[in-house]
Parts: sequence; C-alpha cells; structure tokens
Amino acid sequence: MTVRESAPTRGAAGPAPRPGGRGTATSGRGTVTRLLPAPLRVLVLGVLLVVVLAPVLYMLFASVSSDLSVAEGAFLPTSLDLGNYLRIWSTVELGRGLVNSLLVAGAVAAVCAFVALGSAYVLVRYAFRGRLAILRGLLALQSIPGTLMLLPVFVLFASAAQLLGVPVIGTRWALFVTYLTFALPFSTWVMVTYLRGLPPELDEAARVDGASAWQVLTRVILPLSWPGLVVAGIFALLLGWNDVLFASVLTNPDSRTAAVALQVFGATQEGGAIPVYGQMMAAALVCAAPVVVLYLVFQRYLISGLTAGGVK
Amino acid sequence: MPGAVPPYRRVQRHRPLWMLAPGAVLTILVVVVPLVVALHISLLDLDQYSFRQWVRAPFVGLANYTEAVRASGTVHAIVLSTSYAAIVTVVTLPIGVAAALATQDRFRGRGLVRSIFLVPYVLPAFVVGTVWRIILQPDGVANGLLARLGLDGGLWLNGPRSFWALVVVQIWASWPLLYLLALAGLQAVDPVLHEAAALDGAGWWTKLRYVIFPHLRGPVSLAVIIAFLHNINNFTLPFVLFGVPSPRDVEVLPVLTYVESFQNFRFGLSAAMAVLSLVLIAVPLAAYLRAVRLDVGPDGAAEGSRP
Repeated sequence: MTVRESAPTRGAAGPAPRPGGRGTATSGRGTVTRLLPAPLRVLVLGVLLVVVLAPVLYMLFASVSSDLSVAEGAFLPTSLDLGNYLRIWSTVELGRGLVNSLLVAGAVAAVCAFVALGSAYVLVRYAFRGRLAILRGLLALQSIPGTLMLLPVFVLFASAAQLLGVPVIGTRWALFVTYLTFALPFSTWVMVTYLRGLPPELDEAARVDGASAWQVLTRVILPLSWPGLVVAGIFALLLGWNDVLFASVLTNPDSRTAAVALQVFGATQEGGAIPVYGQMMAAALVCAAPVVVLYLVFQRYLISGLTAGGVK
Repeated sequence: MPGAVPPYRRVQRHRPLWMLAPGAVLTILVVVVPLVVALHISLLDLDQYSFRQWVRAPFVGLANYTEAVRASGTVHAIVLSTSYAAIVTVVTLPIGVAAALATQDRFRGRGLVRSIFLVPYVLPAFVVGTVWRIILQPDGVANGLLARLGLDGGLWLNGPRSFWALVVVQIWASWPLLYLLALAGLQAVDPVLHEAAALDGAGWWTKLRYVIFPHLRGPVSLAVIIAFLHNINNFTLPFVLFGVPSPRDVEVLPVLTYVESFQNFRFGLSAAMAVLSLVLIAVPLAAYLRAVRLDVGPDGAAEGSRP
C-alpha cells in the first residue's frame, strides 16, 4: 500500500527502509518516527475523510433519490429507486458513449504502452545526442495547454479530410490519434522511470550473446516490463476516458465518448422544470466506476506513476 | 554530455534510434505542426467564412493580439486564471502536507484512509464537475447544509461567488496531488533523522519544523509548480461546472479560448489567446524543467540537472 513498495518504478530514489517495518529493532521505531501527536492526527484524518466522503456519498444517495428531493437539497436519500440506473441507457445514450470511450481509450492504452516501451528503452539504455532534450521535452509536452492544441488540430484534421477525401473529424480514428499523441509523453516518462529500475546486466548479457536490439527489447525487456506497461497503459486510458476538450469538438453524436455524452446531457437539462438529477448522478457514477475500480486494483503501481513527474 | 555517460553505454554501435520514430512522427504531426499552425492562424483574420480555405485567410499581423489584449476579455481571463490557480495551489499545499504527515504514522486502517484520500483525484474531472454542479445548485444540498447552520447560501454557479465555487471544487479535487508528492518526499526522509531528533528530545513541532520540513522543501516546491500548471491549464472542470457561455467571473483563459473558437468562430483571435496562454505557463514550466531531476544513471548519479 505504501508508495515505497513500488520502488522499482521510481529509480530516482533509493529504497529507503520503511519506517516501522518488520525487523529486529522495530519496537521503538513506531514512536520514534511518529510525526504528529495522536489527537492532531485524528483531527486531520477525520476532517479530511468527511470532506472527501461527503460528496462521494451524496453522489450515491442522489443517484437513488427522487429528483425532487435532490432539488430540495436533502442529503440523505428519501427513497431507494434504482430505476435511474436503467433509464440512463436510453436518455443519456450512455451505452454508445461507453462503447466509444472503451474502444478509443482501450486502443490508445494498448498502443501507447508499447510505443512508450520502445522509446523509453532507447532513452534509458543508449547514449545519443539530444537524449536529454527529449527527456526534457517529455515533461514539457505534458504541460502544454490542450486549448492551445485544439484549434490547430481541428484545422489540420479538416484539411487532411479535404485532401484525402475521407471524413476525419467525427471518427474515432481522429480521437485515437490525438489521445495517443498526448498520452505518449507521460507514458514514456513512466516507462523511463520503470526501465531505470531494471538492472542493465540483463540486456547487456543478451547483447553480448549477439541479440539485436529488437530481440533484446521483445525477449528480455518486454517480459520484465509488464508492471510498467500496465501503469503506462492505464494513464493513457485515463487521458482518453477523462477528456472532454477534444472529444467535444472532434466527435459527432455517433462517435461521442461517455464524457461528452454526460456533459451534453447535463447541459440540456438547463432551463427545464426539474432537471433529472438522479439520472445525472447515476450516469456520473457509471462513468467514474471503471476508473475507480482500475485505480483500486492497480493502486500500488499507479501511485508510482502519479508521482513520476515529481522526482527531485 | 559523453563524460556523464556510464562506461557501458560508450561503446555502442547500431543504436536502435528508429524505436523513437513512432513517437517522433506522432509528436511532429499532432503537436509540432499544429503549434506552427496555431502561430500562423493567430496572425490571420480567420472566421467561419474563411475557414474552409484557411490558408488564404487575410493576414492581419498582430491585430489579433492587440484585440485580445485590448478589446476581448483576455486580460481579465489571465488575471482570473492566475489568481484561481495560485489560490488553489496555496490552499492545497498545507492540506496535502498535513495529510501526508497524518498518514505517514502507522495506525490501523491506514491503507483504507490512503485509498480514500486519492478518490477525488482519481474521479474524472467531468464527473467531479457534474456532481458539484448538482451539489451547488441554488436549492441544492450545499445551501441546505448552510441554511441549517443559519447561513444564507445564495448563488454559487452564477455571479461573483462562482469564482469561489470553482476554487473550492478544484481544491477538493486536486489536493491529493500535493498529498501524494509530499508523501513521496516524506518517505525519502532518512529514519536516522527521526532517531536523532528523538535523542535530542525534540517535541513534535520542533522536529517537524527543523528536521522534517527542510527535507520536504525540494519535493514540495516541485509539487507546487506541478499543481500550479495543472490548475492553470484546467479546462474540463470550469467547462462542465458552469457550462458555456460561462459566468464572467469564471471565464478562465482555457474556457475563453474555447468559446472564442467554437462558439464565436473567431479562430484567429482564439489562436492569439492560446499563444498567450503559452506565455502564461512559460515561467512555471521553465522553473519545473530546471528543478526536476531529468536523468539518473544506474549508479544513482544525476545527469543533466543541478545536483
């Protein structure tokens, strides 16, 4: 559970002994490493847990409540109506949205992880001019505002469609290419930090035996890299799953992702009598569930990725 | 640079640089070329009528930039974006550090608490926006709770308070980032220091102040820059929380740029705003790239950054 357990992916910091870990001299350790007095700790944890959990619980409550009670500001559910979870499939067109999200984000995740592995392998194991510039670029690219890229990407896709005579905007391919590109820098960075944790002697030996770089990558590095690939892939998947900016412009009603479907549904509720709050909450929960489940399952690996850009 | 390369790297022929090609091609096609196009469009008078033949749109020089700065809400949006990002970052910093300190000590259920703490950060921004939009509606649950405390809630999604609604929701959603990075920094503190502090009989605050915090300064200042960049580039949350056209008090630069392109179809003006947004992040980005440890050799020695 601790961040430190994922040490192999964080090659930058040495494996510091875990405070209070099992060992011989641990009897006194627990108190020695204590940072906050117990009452203060309980206070901090209590306040934060309430602040975090209240909206999350409310999400659950409101998704089974009547729209009227949500509109009146009741916190606890007044009824237990699971019908919202059935209605959203026709009203929000959530099914199609989820399929589109899954197809695009899933393909991005798979391709991105392997492209990132190849790039990271070269960046970690070989010396060449411009290597540091690329590493720096990987970090810089993550900070480029999406709104800066949106218009020119839209213009270029429109021009490409004119040139090629096939539709580009509105297809899932347009989203796939866009997300793949924007996911690559971070996924590559994750793989770079992961591969740094693998001992170079492994591929060194294979290379001495005459294996080509491609053979080393596919037969030696790849089998050892699954934890890193999973993290790199999940972050690429999340980028596609969570994006609203590009999807709102590059999709049509048929290729809409779940994120845009939900946003459009929410926006169309404005000005009506009582918005269908319950359905919005239910749909939001359904969109969030895969992400939260993924995170819970792969938590210990993902945390290393979340902190990968913050190593000093 | 060759001097910093470990010996085993030096004698290498047949470097498989082609493995960098897929990423390079994609980056050139979808990032570099569009960046150049963005710069070019920002110098054109491009709207929905000239869009189909955008290459032939009239060249207007820096007119879009002067209009962006003088006439449109760009300056307002820049001030708004910067202050919102700064406030969120400053508030999440102590929360994140306090949470990291509190979960570093061992106690029963710590794993569960750590998982829960990350939930706001893991939830997609469009989900966070949708949920808080319902929570903050005029008769919603937030105002219901405030009324029980005898406070008048009022409007959160419109008018001057909408700015604070955006700040509060972004604080809720983004503090776990600082928490995570602070926790990573905390776990890198040598346990020997704890023992030394205990031997000296230091109280908990003295120990934090003089032993722990100095070690956190590096990772935490890096975390602050990362958080600031995250906040200032955030489009999804204000977009989903307030919709477009958004109230003027939350018309942050990403939203304004988007509206100018895809609602008002003033593409040239929008591109100029987008280029200005790059200027906005230039300073924190440069600071980040200077501070982060770029490269680590297998022996643990840092290359390419200040030690």
